[in-house]
Amino acid sequence: MSKNYYEFTYIINPVLEEDKFKETVDKVTKLVEDNGGEIDEVDEWGLRQFAYNIDKKGSGYYVNMYFTAPAEAIASVEKQLRIDDDILRYLTLKYDAKMLRHRELQKKNEVPDIFAIEDEDDDDSNEDDD
Amino acid sequence: MIKNPSHPKKNQRKVKQCKFTRAGLEYIDYKDTETLQRFTNDQGKILPRRVTGTSAKHQRQLTTAVKRARFLALMPYVAENLR
Repeated sequence: MSKNYYEFTYIINPVLEEDKFKETVDKVTKLVEDNGGEIDEVDEWGLRQFAYNIDKKGSGYYVNMYFTAPAEAIASVEKQLRIDDDILRYLTLKYDAKMLRHRELQKKNEVPDIFAIEDEDDDDSNEDDD
Repeated sequence: MIKNPSHPKKNQRKVKQCKFTRAGLEYIDYKDTETLQRFTNDQGKILPRRVTGTSAKHQRQLTTAVKRARFLALMPYVAENLR
């Protein structure tokens, strides 16, 4: 039985009351643990505006978590969440070597900035003039 | 590319370079919507490689990242256009 590192993001129905959010987060965390997963990090982003409406709702409570789990656990976790009406959407990602290296950088806060060299971009705009 | 030394565009020509390669990024995160937004137009469409100069490898990663972000409603599939 091989274990993998996963990233898991889900959106909770915003219509619920404040303490129900915590309850749902605990429930999902427990669900993962019950299936043999080890939680690495749970990050609650809180209420966020959607870019488009999901089920006629304009915002949702985002939760992002990282964990190590056997491959079989994912199927049963997803099955439970599909039934759950409080969870609007979820996304599971299995981490490969590249993503793991990226995650390490993220933890150290050393993700390289893509737009660090800005002056070159200004040259681009000049080109368009003629 | 331009051989004529007196060509007016001689000094303006610039070789495009992939921003991700230059920064040494290995994985493009779907959560980083601020970066992803700079590779889409105001309609929410992903910009082509010929415009942004992204390498093929990173363009593929960028596409999946944008699509993941769209699924989680972090980015729009179609942005409403003000007329």
